Order: sequence, then structure tokens, then C-alpha cells
Amino acid sequence: MKKHPDRKATKAVVFIFTIMMFFLFSQTLWAAPKLAQSKAKGKDCAACHVKAKMLPDNHADTKAMNWEACKTCHTKDKLSLIGKLPGSHHHQLVEVNCVKCHGKTKKPEALTMEQCVACHGSTAKLAEKTKDIKPSNPHTSPHYGTELDCNLCHHQHTKSENYCTQCHKFDFKVP
Amino acid sequence: MKKDDTKEKTLSRRNFLKTTGAAAVAAMAVGNLGMPAKYAQAAGDALPKKWDETYDVVVIGSGFAGLAAAIEAKNAGASVAIIEKMPTHGGNSIINGGDFCAPGTKLQQENGIPDSPELMLKDMLRAGLYLNHPENAKIVAYGAKDALEWTESYLGVKYVKIGFHGGHSVKRAHGMLNQTGAELVNKELAKVKELGIKIQLRTKLVKFISNKDGRIIGIEVRKDYKFPDEKSGKTAFLKAKRAIVLGSGGFSQDIKLRQIQDPRLTDKFGSTNQPGATGEALLAACIAGAMDVQMDWIQLGPWTSPDEKGFGFVPLFCEPLVGNGLMINPKTGKRFFKETGNRKERADAIILMGNPAIIMGDSYAVNKNVVPHAVQKGMEIGAIKKFDTLEDLAKNYDIPLDVFLKEIARWNSFVEKKKDDDFDCMIFKDTRPTATAPFYAARLWPKVHHTMGGLVIDKNAQVMGFDFKPVKGLFAAGEVSGGVHGAVRLGGVAIADCLVFGRVAGKSAAAEKPWG
Repeated sequence: MKKHPDRKATKAVVFIFTIMMFFLFSQTLWAAPKLAQSKAKGKDCAACHVKAKMLPDNHADTKAMNWEACKTCHTKDKLSLIGKLPGSHHHQLVEVNCVKCHGKTKKPEALTMEQCVACHGSTAKLAEKTKDIKPSNPHTSPHYGTELDCNLCHHQHTKSENYCTQCHKFDFKVP
Repeated sequence: MKKDDTKEKTLSRRNFLKTTGAAAVAAMAVGNLGMPAKYAQAAGDALPKKWDETYDVVVIGSGFAGLAAAIEAKNAGASVAIIEKMPTHGGNSIINGGDFCAPGTKLQQENGIPDSPELMLKDMLRAGLYLNHPENAKIVAYGAKDALEWTESYLGVKYVKIGFHGGHSVKRAHGMLNQTGAELVNKELAKVKELGIKIQLRTKLVKFISNKDGRIIGIEVRKDYKFPDEKSGKTAFLKAKRAIVLGSGGFSQDIKLRQIQDPRLTDKFGSTNQPGATGEALLAACIAGAMDVQMDWIQLGPWTSPDEKGFGFVPLFCEPLVGNGLMINPKTGKRFFKETGNRKERADAIILMGNPAIIMGDSYAVNKNVVPHAVQKGMEIGAIKKFDTLEDLAKNYDIPLDVFLKEIARWNSFVEKKKDDDFDCMIFKDTRPTATAPFYAARLWPKVHHTMGGLVIDKNAQVMGFDFKPVKGLFAAGEVSGGVHGAVRLGGVAIADCLVFGRVAGKSAAAEKPWG
């Protein structure tokens, strides 16, 4: 009988502590990217990543670079950036910044595929362009035709993925 | 007092187990959920403060059954929403092979194939070991033709050939354009859009909400859910004024649940299904009082390969080869089972053996029977291999050569006399001895293909509860339901089941009296 209230008290302390810790940490977690986002520039790693080291030691300074400059060293066959650089960085390096996709807003929201197509052109055309890729054209399928959402593979703010591999063994490099 | 309460609950659970058995154990083991309906429902759920959206009918799942239900409910005058947890529509139906079995159709007549619903029912019951709920099996067999014609005339689906599946008495598999169920799903989807029904993708069912009488009145979902991240998404409440239709498919990819039903089916077994084919929606229905049936009848395909993903190309290589080539246990170098046995017998034999089998054929057998596209694609992936000599083949799979060559000679002697003394394999008229180089081979390891069991439904697709009474406001159709197929689901009958009962469920849901 005596043990019950004790245990309850301990539980309450643990609970309050957990809540406090949660707020402490969640605050910092939320705060960091907000600050960094406002300065986002594809070429200036530190603007978002702050002190985290993103490039190898012997990498040239990227601050003055654009996508064309990247391509002087990173070609399709040598040191390829395909699948290594998040899509948003590529966009930034060709002067497509946050606002150009998300508009002027404090709360950027996920985009629909229409916005991709508005700049990149129709998916049917894209599928035509990639028709010779082996083992299978990544932009059309017997299941969804050419209408699969771009963002199922080509993520912008996280590593892209190969959606086909959940069922198939297609070894695509996804930009 | 508290102690007594607990005791009483434990006792009643125990009694409950005695009477209801395996079905409940499944649910309990997953989350201590196997309460009898009266306990689950007597309390009623805490009702949401506010419903975020209200519809007459909410359909869960966007495969064959769910879309058919949505179309029929809408056409009966109901407002309808469809939710789908995956980021794409179509579920497993969109990767289905597109064979729709129906008896007595125009295409059969054109091909001179006599058939009848009686015969289809007979085939289904025989394959199902007579465990099929006969009334429901009959509804599918007798309703399949009408459902097929509906997909042709109302949806515009094209059927281009009539094919055969093991276990059927006649050719009755109506093959869709491009050999894919996408033909049907995408035309259902086009109709859904035309009717103004919205599909909410990335929206996952969390639980059914019932009122104090146990009637299902809505669902809790997570919107913007990112499969398989269970923490993703935002909670919302959808009110269903008339009813919910559950068309959430089977649980072939749910390793935890399928292992409870059939402990052999560990993660050693892949699945031919899409990754979202898991059982949480089915279990959520059980928690809300729905009764499950025959959950441990899980079908494996014996024709799949461990060297490629999903269904792949090896099934298209293996099936035309059985009876024309042979199956070998690479460990012993010998044959081990009747190559032309049914799905279940063969899968069980390979599992019992404990290692992948080899299916092989010579150039004559492969060129004559296998679609070139399947061989070529299978070889590109590396799942099908070509060898100049039997010695090379043996070496590649680590088969004891002496025994293997003797076994080939023995098989060839059976082929010559058209009779297999060892396993009674069917040997066809045009089967020739395995002797012409090059030789082709692939490894076989069964994959989980279809879950025959599921929720108990009546002829109106009304879900039944553990108290043998309807779970008001809940209908189910397709693979999430159980009973139609009994022990074995025959090839091409899944689509018939989904379309027949999907349409029934949609009509029933729209006709349900609104609760508020």
C-alpha cells in the first residue's frame, strides 16, 4: 500500500523532466534551420551547415561558384555529382532559389508536381528523352505511365531515392 | 477493487480464447487487442471534438476493390472520399498480372470454350479444400461475368486474350491489355476522377471510431503520412455518415503478422507484393469488433527467384518449363518433387528442403515454351543463367556432378517413355530429353503471394463481429476479406473477387442509414 504514492511521485518527476527536455531540445532543433534557411545559397555551405564540414579538405572554395563552375571539375564521367548533391543545391547553383519555387512565405510548403513540370516541361517529353536508359526507362512504366510524381524519386531537401527498387532491381543513379 | 477488475478481464479473455481461438490470438499477440467485441465496443471510443471532414462513405484503399466500391457508392448518390496510405494509387492491383477469371463470356465463346459459373465454383471449392465460405464463393463465381462486362462497357477495359491458370478446368483468365492490372486500376481511377471523387494519398488509417452502440461512425487518420515512418503525418478525423468500405488488401509484406499465422514465413521469404501490403488496417477492424477467418492460409508462389526482386521474370521462365525440364535439389543433385504439382505442394516441398531449388531446361525446351522477353530480362538481371555444358551448370550451383548427370539420364529415360516413375510429373507430348546445349537454369525460392484469410463478410460485404452480428457501418471487399477462396486462391480469381465484392460493398455502404 505504501509503495503506490511513492511510485506515482517518481513517475510524475520523470514525466515533467521528459517534457522539459523535449521542449529544450525541440526548440534548438527547430531554431537552427530557420536561421540558416534565410541565408540559403547553394554555393555557400556554411550559410546553412554552419560549422559542419561538407566538402573534402582539398576542395576549392565554392563561394564564388555557380553550376557551370562546378562542372569544370565534376563531369558526367569523372567525379559525377549525380545523386550526391541534393536537388535544392543544384537549383540554387543555377539561381533557382527558395522563393522561385515556394514563393515569398515564412512557411514554405511542399510543392505539387505541376510546379516541376512548369519549368521542366511535360513528363511525356521527359520519358521520350530517357527512353534508352537501361534496364528500363525510369520515366514511364506499365503501372503509372508517365504520371508518377517527380518527388517520389527526385527529392530536393533530402537524398533522392529510386522508387522503382521497392519492387525492381533497376540500378538507376537518381539526381 | 482495481485488482478484481484486472482479474475479471484476464479471465474473460481466457474464456474468449477458448471459444474463439486462433483468430483472436493473432490480434492479441500483435498488441494485446483480442478483446471480444462487447469489450471493445461497450466502452465506445472517445469521440473527436471535431470532425475534420464529413462524407457519406469513406473508402480505405485504392486498389481494384476500393475503387470499384467508390464508383458504385457515388453512383448510388453518396458523397465519397478515398484514402490511400501510399504515395501512389493502385496498391497491389497496379502491379497485378491482369488476368480476370470469369465463366461463360463472349471471349470464351469466340474461342470455343464451354464454361459455366457452376464449373468455376466447383474449381474454386476443390482448390480451396472446401474451406471456402460457399455462399461468398458462389457470389464471385456467378457474379464474375457481369463484373467483367461492367469493366468493359462502363470503364472501357480491354481484354486481349484468354489464358489458363493451374487448378481451373478450362481457359477462363481474361488477359488485360499489356498483361497488367494497371489497365483496370487506371480505368477505374479515370472513372473515379470523372465522378468527382478525390483520392487522398499518403493518408493512413489509424483506427476506426465507434459510438457507444459499437456502430462505426468514422476514422482517425494521419495525413501527409510518409510510408513507412509511423511518426510522420498529422492526425485528422473523417466522419462517415453512412459507412466505411475497407479495401486495404492483404498482408503478404507484414512479416510480423504473417509469422504469427504461419511461423515458417520469416524474413527469409520475400514477397511478390508491394511494400504497403501490411495488415494494420485489418487488425484495426478486429480491434473495432470485426471477426477474422482463415488467417493462416497464406499462399506462396513456388516459381519465384531469390535472385531478383518481387514477382520478377523467373515465374515466366519456370511455369512453362515444368514438365518440359526438371527441378533439382542442388545439395543432392537429385529431383525432389513433382514439377507439375500445384502451387502449395511445390512451395511446401521447397521450404521443407530448406534451400533454393534449381529449375532447368535445355535450348529446345526453353525456346519452345518460354517467352523470349522473359529469358532475356531474367538473364540481364542475373536470375536466369545460360550454360554451355551440364558440367558448367553443376559447377555454378555446386551440384554433385556424378549424381546430377545420372539424374538427368534417369529423367531423360522417363521422357522417352512419357512416364515419370519417381514423382509422376506430367510429361507432355512434345517434351524431349534434356540434352541440347546451351542449358538454362534459375534458382527457386517461394515468395509470399496472397493472404486468403481476412475479415468475415456476408453476401452484402457487411463485416461480421465476434458476436456473429454485423459490425454496423463497416463493409469490406477484396484481399482484406476472407472466406471466398478457402485454402487456395486460384490464379485470376482475385480480380473477380475484388470487382464483384467491391461493387457490392459500395452499393451496401451507400444504402446504409445515416447515423447523424
